[in-house]
Amino acid sequence: MDIVLESLAKIVFMFLLIMGMVPALIWAERKGAAFIQDRTGPNRASIAGIRLAGLVHPIADVLKLVFKEDIAPTHRHRALYNLAPWLVMTVAVSTYAVIPFGDYLELGGKRIPLVVADLQVGLLYVLAVASLGTYGVVLAGWAANNKFTFLGGIRATAQMISYEISMGLAVMGLMLIFGTLRLTDIVAGQGGLLFGFLPMWGVVLQPLGFVLFITAVYAETNRNPFDLPEGESEIVAGYHLEYSSLKFALFFMAEYCHMVVGAAMISALYFGGYQIPWLPRPRLEQNAGLLLVIMLAAIIAVSLWFAVLFLRRVQREKGKFGDARDREPVLGAGLWLVIAAAAAGAFLLRPWEIGPAGASVAATVFQVGAFVGKVVFFAWLFIWVRWTLPRFRYDQLMRLGWKVMLPLGLANLVVTALVLAAVGGGK
Amino acid sequence: MSFEGLPKGSTDKRRSLLESMYLLEVVRGLGVTARHLLRNIFHTGDMPTMQYPEEKRVYGDRFRGRHRLMQREDGTPRCVACQMCSTYCPADCIYITAAEHPDPAIEKYPATFDIDLLRCVYCGLCEEACPCDAIRLDTGIYEIAADHRDKFIVDKEFLLRNTTDGTR
Amino acid sequence: MARLTIDGSAIEVADGTSLFDACRLARGESLPHFCYHPDLSIAGVCRLCQVEVEGMPKLTIACNTTVREGMVVHTRSERVRKASQQILEMHLINHPVDCPICDQAGECGLQNQYMAYGLYDSQVAESDKVNKAKALVIGPHVVLDKERCVLCSRCVRFCNEVTKTGELGIFNRGDRAEIGVAPGRELDNAYSVNTVDICPVGALTSRDFRFQKRVWMLKSTDSICPGCATGCNVRVDHEAGRIYRLKPRRNPAVNGSWMCDEGRLTYKDVHAEDRLLEPLWNGRVVSWADARGHLAHVVAGGFALVIGSAHQSLEEMWLLRQLAGTAALSGGLAGSDLAVGDDILRSADRTPNRRGLALAGLAEHDAAALAGLVRAARGAILVHGGDPAAAPDVAAAMAGRQDVVYVGTHRRATAAAAALALPGAMWAEKAGIFVNRQDRLQAFAQAVARPGNAREDWRVLGEMLPDQGRAPTGLKALRAGVAADLAPALAPTIDLDRLPQGGVPAGGDA
Ligand code: SF4
Ligand code: SF4
Ligand code: SF4
Ligand code: SF4
Ligand code: FES
Repeated sequence: MDIVLESLAKIVFMFLLIMGMVPALIWAERKGAAFIQDRTGPNRASIAGIRLAGLVHPIADVLKLVFKEDIAPTHRHRALYNLAPWLVMTVAVSTYAVIPFGDYLELGGKRIPLVVADLQVGLLYVLAVASLGTYGVVLAGWAANNKFTFLGGIRATAQMISYEISMGLAVMGLMLIFGTLRLTDIVAGQGGLLFGFLPMWGVVLQPLGFVLFITAVYAETNRNPFDLPEGESEIVAGYHLEYSSLKFALFFMAEYCHMVVGAAMISALYFGGYQIPWLPRPRLEQNAGLLLVIMLAAIIAVSLWFAVLFLRRVQREKGKFGDARDREPVLGAGLWLVIAAAAAGAFLLRPWEIGPAGASVAATVFQVGAFVGKVVFFAWLFIWVRWTLPRFRYDQLMRLGWKVMLPLGLANLVVTALVLAAVGGGK
Repeated sequence: MSFEGLPKGSTDKRRSLLESMYLLEVVRGLGVTARHLLRNIFHTGDMPTMQYPEEKRVYGDRFRGRHRLMQREDGTPRCVACQMCSTYCPADCIYITAAEHPDPAIEKYPATFDIDLLRCVYCGLCEEACPCDAIRLDTGIYEIAADHRDKFIVDKEFLLRNTTDGTR
Repeated sequence: MARLTIDGSAIEVADGTSLFDACRLARGESLPHFCYHPDLSIAGVCRLCQVEVEGMPKLTIACNTTVREGMVVHTRSERVRKASQQILEMHLINHPVDCPICDQAGECGLQNQYMAYGLYDSQVAESDKVNKAKALVIGPHVVLDKERCVLCSRCVRFCNEVTKTGELGIFNRGDRAEIGVAPGRELDNAYSVNTVDICPVGALTSRDFRFQKRVWMLKSTDSICPGCATGCNVRVDHEAGRIYRLKPRRNPAVNGSWMCDEGRLTYKDVHAEDRLLEPLWNGRVVSWADARGHLAHVVAGGFALVIGSAHQSLEEMWLLRQLAGTAALSGGLAGSDLAVGDDILRSADRTPNRRGLALAGLAEHDAAALAGLVRAARGAILVHGGDPAAAPDVAAAMAGRQDVVYVGTHRRATAAAAALALPGAMWAEKAGIFVNRQDRLQAFAQAVARPGNAREDWRVLGEMLPDQGRAPTGLKALRAGVAADLAPALAPTIDLDRLPQGGVPAGGDA
């Protein structure tokens, strides 16, 4: 019974994490793109004048998509057409099952591993499930019975086959080094230090593998510069051209879920997952009190700074809009002051006197935080890259996949194996 | 930069080895975008974007906005329905019916004067053609929106109400 | 014959020709002029037509000079150009130049002359101009603007010489001189609008046409006035399917340069409220397809009586006779459309084609006889055009019959009496030939589109021919049929499909 509850709790945590990140990422994408291009980006949607720097827009988007008319082409393959978006979405969410988001949580003397399913072949599971997502795309392209969607589907297939191989070859290097396919082991294996000062992260051990892997992940998620299946300059919107309303929303959300899973994979395989460099778990637990104090102090400093920024706006923009939006700086300043006050209030709980049980929980929280932080960074990297690089041409895509990535992947594997054999490492 | 003399094919052979490895260039590109991002985050006010309905671009005096019909001192239109404007109009969007004015000194006036704003190309030729300075495009109004095509066909009364300060 | 040299080219004209006409021949275009008119006497008052004749010390007006053997004339010399420019400037001294509200703009002598010979900068301030009465209603059809008048006296001469009514005159002297109506009178003769036509400026305007349309927007089609048996040659001015005015076309053999005021308004019938626009079956609008069904039903046994009218074209009359075959045939109501005529243009016979009936071999009947024919008809009756049921006798005879078919243009008595009424075309909506009271064949062309579902009459009639193999395939074929059939009555030189501009007598040119 316990195990069911535990798993449920972990599933809910993961699901909320992903689903919470989707609107945030959409916001980051729109706002980030805007700032990169010297625009202001979305800043109009508001709830009683509160715009949250555009964060209200995802809510408006969702409302709009939910209430829009669902227009479907008459000549579609009804069953597959309806299935495709759900398939894409389901696959995107199920990958998370094997990704460890923390070491363990010790509650009442019980150790709960922080991964939903600790599969022995976790890495294979990830590769297998992730490639299933392509079926959704291909089905969508085919079932909509439209030349453009069909081309989008074909492109997705070809792209997937080309980059799946490089991806597999790239992670094979890690597998050789850590001698396991279990993701928890791989993450745990990255906790140590190399030569006493370098964190033993995958990226340090396998720099070429990392480059290959991240490139392949971008291709697998259909993100720029590899978003050819929806290349609007040639095939309008590609595979999801004929979808509207909620079904389109599913494709849209699935893209961001894929980004999160991609980011989680990159962090777990090459950036030590939940590991904090130079701060292994025992040391975390010892210094939990100090760390908490530092963290609270940082929170207070940051929120005070934001509060000051808002207060400056209060002065500068008095009566600028002549409507409810004028209240925004005041409320913003108030919010940050409240957060600062709450953090200051937390000092009353004497965090520096934390006991061993509490220290363990705090260490877990720090580790999960580290993992989330890494995921957020790599998710942002997806966005950042999208607004920096132009899309590949199709022949460039294929050449890169088969003539560059594949040989490099093979070379990486061979060299890794030889080095391992030479130093007698590997488990 | 001139593209002449580039070798045929998709690769520019003049790229250096580092450049053709792409990776470093990607990182440099990320640097460029990051620079813009950070600048705009910390100097939001310097962005060139205009917050349109609140802020409006100031156009020159010669900007051609929506038409207005000029009035005589007693508020009747100056227009004498000579139809020079509708004759000259390249978009054929001015429709006038003339009628006999009770005052023989005025003699002719427009019983109806309609402009189809959707067909109009705002060339200002009607203004040029008018011998009576009766039609002008100097209202500065460029926000022309309606929810039905018929509402873009504006009549004499509407055009007479338009003024230069943009009010209706 | 007189031989003379005009602008360096030799030309030979008949003795007694005016120098004005000789110059027009030589130049290919008229000299500038206001007062000269080919159908009026010479006044020589506008002084615009001055030319330089070698041997004469001063410039002379061409309109009042007769050609002489050996004359050497210059019409484009610097002296002449200067003179016309200065004369024009004088004409414009007191002119209001209110072209924007002037109906003449676009066909104005002053505007054209200014663009051709003027192009100077005016030295007269607006405030210096002499003001006179404007927009003065001087008759049932004409409005006068005294300021715009250039005192060419054409209008005065017209009223004196053509209508001989003399309503108009020039009053006062110098720059106060102005056109006026004789005290206690109105410009109300039956030809008054001709003064509007000949007025070279916008001083006289037509009340009917005033402000309806700018003239440059109008398209013109040559036609024949359908108002009476005279068959004045006219021009139909129309735009976007609407006729705005009729203007006389000069034809010395028929109407000179004139037409009557009544004829000018005949176009109103084309746009009348009671036009028959759709086929009617017992007063109910039906489609053409349904109408054909009803027609086939009604005339299953063929027509027993066919009635034509003097309002239709010659081709249609002939076709009607083919259609009748052995059935009784009538040219319509004798004595219909009669009114007062005069010895200027108007005929008492207010139909355009009564002579055509005779030519096509259709005889008219008076009301009693026609009613008799209707009663005697044992089978369907076809009425084409006209309005025979306007006669009570005929209407009574038709009453209650379910086999009367009417092809016409208006919802009047006959359309109401008929079981099936089919919409045909008015004269301006089709091409055809009228034969006037002089037995002159004159062609008219289609000016505007047919309204509603109206169709060309010959097509409608052609569909009713029992032998569809003989149905005309086009106007040309139809006319070929007419020509072949009427050959004895028509001169062999006449090509019905290509009648000359001014028409041709049925017996050929003498
Ligand atoms: S601005 Fe140009 S297009 Fe518009 S009404 Fe005037 S002439 Fe016509
Ligand atoms: S040109 Fe001027 S006066 Fe003439 S119709 Fe147009 S607006 Fe009226
Ligand atoms: S007569 Fe009329 S059109 Fe001619 S110049 Fe005078 S005002 Fe203008
Ligand atoms: S009214 Fe016209 S026709 Fe008569 S004199 Fe004056 S300009 Fe000539
Ligand atoms: S035309 Fe000769 S004087 Fe007027």
